Formats: sequence, structure tokens, C-alpha cells
Amino acid sequence: MSELSVKHLLGIKYLGEKDIQLIFETADHFKEVINRSIKKVPSLRDITIANIFFENSTRTKLSFELAEKRLSADVINFSAGQSSVKKGETLIDTVNNILSMKVDMVVMRHPNPGAGIFLAKYVNASIINAGDGAHEHPTQALLDSYSIREKLGDVAGKKVVIVGDILHSRVALSNIFALKLQGAEVKVCGPRTLLPKHIESLGVGVETDLQKALNWCDVANMLRIQNERLDISYFPTTREYTQQYGVNRKLLDGLDKEIVIMHPGPINRGVEITSDVADSKQSIILNQVENGVAIRMAVIYLLASKIKQ
Amino acid sequence: MNILLKSVKILDPSNPGLHTKKRDILIKDGKIEKIAVKIDAENKITTIAKRNLHVSPGWFDGAVNFGEPGFEERETIANGLSTAAKSGFTDVVLNTGTNPVPDGSPDIAFLKNAGKGRATNLHPLGSLTVKSEGRDLAELYDMKNAGAIGFYDFKKPLSNGNLLKIALQYVQGFDGLVYSFPLDTQIAGKGNVNEGEVSTKLGLKGIPSLAEELQIVRDLFILEYTGGRLHIPTISTANSVKLISDAKRKGLNVSCSTAVHNLWHTDDTLKDFDSDYKTTPPLRNEKDIRALIKGVKDGTIDFVVTDHMPMNIERKKVEFDHAAYGTIGLESAFGALNSIFGAEATVDILTRGREYYALEKPEIKEGAMASISLFDPDETYIFAQEHINSTSKNSIFLNSELKGKVYGIINNGQLIF
Repeated sequence: MSELSVKHLLGIKYLGEKDIQLIFETADHFKEVINRSIKKVPSLRDITIANIFFENSTRTKLSFELAEKRLSADVINFSAGQSSVKKGETLIDTVNNILSMKVDMVVMRHPNPGAGIFLAKYVNASIINAGDGAHEHPTQALLDSYSIREKLGDVAGKKVVIVGDILHSRVALSNIFALKLQGAEVKVCGPRTLLPKHIESLGVGVETDLQKALNWCDVANMLRIQNERLDISYFPTTREYTQQYGVNRKLLDGLDKEIVIMHPGPINRGVEITSDVADSKQSIILNQVENGVAIRMAVIYLLASKIKQ
Repeated sequence: MNILLKSVKILDPSNPGLHTKKRDILIKDGKIEKIAVKIDAENKITTIAKRNLHVSPGWFDGAVNFGEPGFEERETIANGLSTAAKSGFTDVVLNTGTNPVPDGSPDIAFLKNAGKGRATNLHPLGSLTVKSEGRDLAELYDMKNAGAIGFYDFKKPLSNGNLLKIALQYVQGFDGLVYSFPLDTQIAGKGNVNEGEVSTKLGLKGIPSLAEELQIVRDLFILEYTGGRLHIPTISTANSVKLISDAKRKGLNVSCSTAVHNLWHTDDTLKDFDSDYKTTPPLRNEKDIRALIKGVKDGTIDFVVTDHMPMNIERKKVEFDHAAYGTIGLESAFGALNSIFGAEATVDILTRGREYYALEKPEIKEGAMASISLFDPDETYIFAQEHINSTSKNSIFLNSELKGKVYGIINNGQLIF
């Protein structure tokens, strides 16, 4: 397979297993590129990409922008705060205005689930979903799987537990789809209030006891408690959350094997993860960040080559 | 106007003598003058002869919205009633989803007046509370005298149980009908679709069935305490059917409806985030549909409504979370119900419900005023834009295969064909 089966990257659930393999193989190449002294290739000199962020982001935006620049694409950035959205313009009009300036590809983060899918129906550009509400964050899931593959050799057959606020998490959902597609076993772990009632219908296990979950898994992906998304109190205090769902050295030392610790960032030290765990050799948190650039280069490169056809 | 219907098949289960028989029907000055195997055409008469033309007593839709006043860009009363007539309905109950809401007798008088002289009869509801804000009762007695046939804060749940208690007690003096929209807003939270596998996959916030059922349980307990007549509009879950069935068995004076689209579509249709499928109550699952259909058949669900909700494209062609709720339903109602239930049962379903509003049920018999729906139950087609007469085109049935085509009505001395 030499090209993706899709024109946009709207979510993992629209990809096939071969798409993921192709993205990983392409990322292998780009990872080698970004570790050279000259970290840049001329591949996308003729492509213009708009990063449109209707929701705050620091690392995802930075990672996308770096990926685009290392592929030599022209890049423009747009945030909702400085835009006409607040003047009542519709999403379609906003994006079409940007596309009129001859933009080929849109990387969009948006607070509403399905915003990218909606947009893709009405505008003529390749769209990469950089997070849409609690729906999907496909490049994050791809870089997470890529990091597991790098650390453990393969994703198939691995046991992965995702810990924390699954209810409001696009990272969790995309990870579940990506891991299942590659043949991993997945469990989610957290207080029942933060696990969607019907999550088992996606073929994942549910565990409310962190120690049991860690004993079961090869990899633990620790999610941040997104206080900004919690409209009501889903647990009494952060302190009590940490007592039950924070991973610490003592917990890890009590396991009969060495598991891999991941986190999509930004981490809350002392809440879902203690410093001695985050900074330990079991943690691949910073590898995830590095791989993020390579994965995003791969996705952009592969989608751009479909535009060029 | 004098009309002669030639060789039409009469579907009227309540009239065994004529049910399923082919007859000619002569209508003079709005009245059915003669029904016979063969009637010869006189001069100056409009003769209607069409292959496989069926007639039945005029259909009743217990829930439509036309937008006027305030939302004329969605639909006007004139075009709404014209759409109802072309869709086979001789009577429609108008919901209170307007701006301002009809919460006083002048508002009801305006609506009654706007519906005058049309083929389809317009029966307005009045708001239960002032401005439909759920705080103080509106002048219900005065509105009833002006022509309001029930009282409803459109799609707005009464979060204050005591207000429902007082409303149910107060209307007993004049036999008023109180509506309570079944939704516990705390449990529903910010949900905008059914909570289930689909909402989980799509990252959309779900409304659990519990939110509907909990409110129904509360309302039934209040009704048991107060007496009076309670109507629960547009139920959508299997458990709601059971709760209301149990309440009826207990002797409570409760009625309920369900929307045609809740008998047809599941929440699977949401997978592309298409806002035409965004409704309230939300589309549920197969199990709910089965229970609702059974409830319609056994009479637990008293009648089926279109819940016709025209919505201009500007309110629909936006991100799913921002899109307005609702679908039009008049044009597709017969085709959908006929596909599910078959023609005889569909005629029965579409002529049920008037008794709750003290409206007369039309009959096909000599001497009666003609209130007749005209249709062909056997024609199959894919429902498309061309079948839509409404100002707004937001139909949940677009691209659905429907069986049953409607030609129009004869009512109030007018022929819409």
C-alpha cells in the first residue's frame, strides 16, 4: 500500500489497519530526518497549510507547525480569539474565506464533536482533525501507538490501560479505536463517573481499581483530569482522585513486571502521576512528544500526495 | 363546490358496512350527499377518478409547528396548513413553538383567525405558563374560551413538580388538558442525542432514557394525587411505554403520543453527524422502536404525531452541537406509517386522538360533512426534495423508501388534490 485510503484524517475510525501501517512506515523515515543536522526536507514546497484552532492548544499546534515547516510547507495560523467567528460568521464561511487564499490543507481543532466531518462535506480542502470535542484526536492516538510500537516492538497483543477521565476524552476514544484496530487489548480505568456508561460496547474492559488495572497491563496511558471540561463535580476532591487513580513509585514497585507509562500531556505532577514516575525510565512521555512531530509529518505528507494527484 | 369521487376504495375500520368497499361518493356543498356503487356525473361537477384511489375519514395530527408568529422564515401558517392538506390531514394541533408564545387569549384568537377559511382545521394549544417560562400559570381558562384545546410549554420540561400539581388541579374546573414534556433536565444535562453505543463512539453527549422515564414517573405520581387529565407528548423509550401502560391499567387519566420518526429511525443515523437527525426527544434504538410500535398497536400510545418542526437551513447547516432540533414530518407521515403498519392500521392510527381534545371524529356516511383524506397506499417511492411542500426542507425521511402516496383532502367544502 502506497497511499492512504482516505482524503482527510477525521478520526481513527475512518482508517484501516493498512493506513496505520503506512503512516508508521512513513513516520520511521521522517523520524530519521528530524534527527539529522538539517532537519528539513523540501517535499511540500508547493503546499499551503492553515492551522485553524477554535480551541486553545499549545503543544499540538506547535507540533503540527513544526511538522509542516520541516516538510517545507507554507504555514498560516488562525485562532478563534482573533477571528470573525465571534462576529457570527459560520464555520463553513470562515474556512472558505481562508481557502480562497489558495490554501490546500486545513488542520483544525474545534470544541464540537464532528466539526471536521461536517466541514469536510462542504469545503474543498484536505482536513486533518487536531481534536474535535470529545470525539477524536487521531494524530495523538497514532503517535501513542507508534511510541508503543517503538518501545515494545509491536502493538498487536499488548495490553493497554487508559486511566482517568474517559468521559470527556477524545484522546481516549481515538486510542481505543487505534489500539483495537491493531489487535491490542484495551481497558479503561477511572471512577465510574468518568467512564461512559456504554464504553464496553466499543470492546474495551472496565476496571475501577487502578492496582488491578496496572497488574493486568503492559502499558498504562495516564490522562490528565481536564477540570476545564467538568461541568459538575465527578469526584469530591483532586486529593481523593489522586489517592485512587494517581500512579506513583510504590504502586509500580508492587507490580510483578515493569510496565510502560505514557501520558499525552500536559502532565499534572502529583495528581495523576508523581514526578518519580514521570521522570523514570519506564516513562516514554518525552518520546511521545518527539514521535508526534514524525507522525504529523507522515500524515501531512501522505495526505498532500493525494492532493497532488 | 360539488365533487364526485369515482370508484374509490373506502378505508374506515369504524364503519364495517363500507370498510374496504369500492364506491362512488357524491359531495355537494361540503356534505356527503350520496354513497353508491355507481353515481352518474351531473353538470358542473368536479369528477375525480384515479386508479387505486383510496379514501378514509380525515386524518388528525396532534403536533405540528409552523413558526408563525416570530419564525416565519421556517414556515407560515398559510403554507403550513397547505402542506398539511396536501399530506392528507384535515385537522392539526398547533404547538406553542412560536415567538412570542401564545400565552393569552389574543394570541389564540390570532392563531384561530390565521387558520380560518383553510381546508385543514387549525387547533392551537396555549402555553401552560406565562412566556412558557415554567413559573406562573398563564390564563388557561381565558385561552380555552378563545379556542385553545390544551396547554403546553413546547418541549420545555416542567422542572417544578408543584407547578404541574397546581396546573392539573386548576384545569379541572373547565376540563383542560395539561401537557408535560417528559425530560428530567438534570439527568439529561447537556446531552443532545440518545445515550448509547453511538453517542459513545461519536463523543456526543448522551441523554439517557432514564431522563425521560424519571420525569414520567414523577408526573404519573402527581396525576394520581391530583386527578385531572395529563398528556405526555412524544415519548421515545421502551420503558416509557411500560410506565404509561401500567398507569392506564391503574385507571389514571393519562394519554401520550410518539413521533413518526421515532418509529422509523435509530440513532445509528447520526454516524455522519448529520443534523437533520437531531431531534428532541432523540432517536433511540431498535428495542425502543419495537416497544413504541407495539404500544401504538395495543393503544398504550394513544396517537402518533408528525412533530412537524420546520427549521431554516441556517439553523441546521452548522456544527452538530449548534444545530437546532427537529424535522418536518407532514409530507412523509402517511408513507412512513403505512410502510410500518399497513393501510388499514395506518388509517386507524391517523384518525385516533381527537377524543382527547373534544374534536368530532369525521365519518364517511351520507349526510355527514365531508372530511376525507385521499391516497394510494400501494405506491412506493424514495422520499426526496420534490415531495416537500414545506418552506424548510429539514426532513429526516429524505432518501427513505416510503410506501403510500397522498393526494390531498376534501374538507370545509374545499378540495385539495
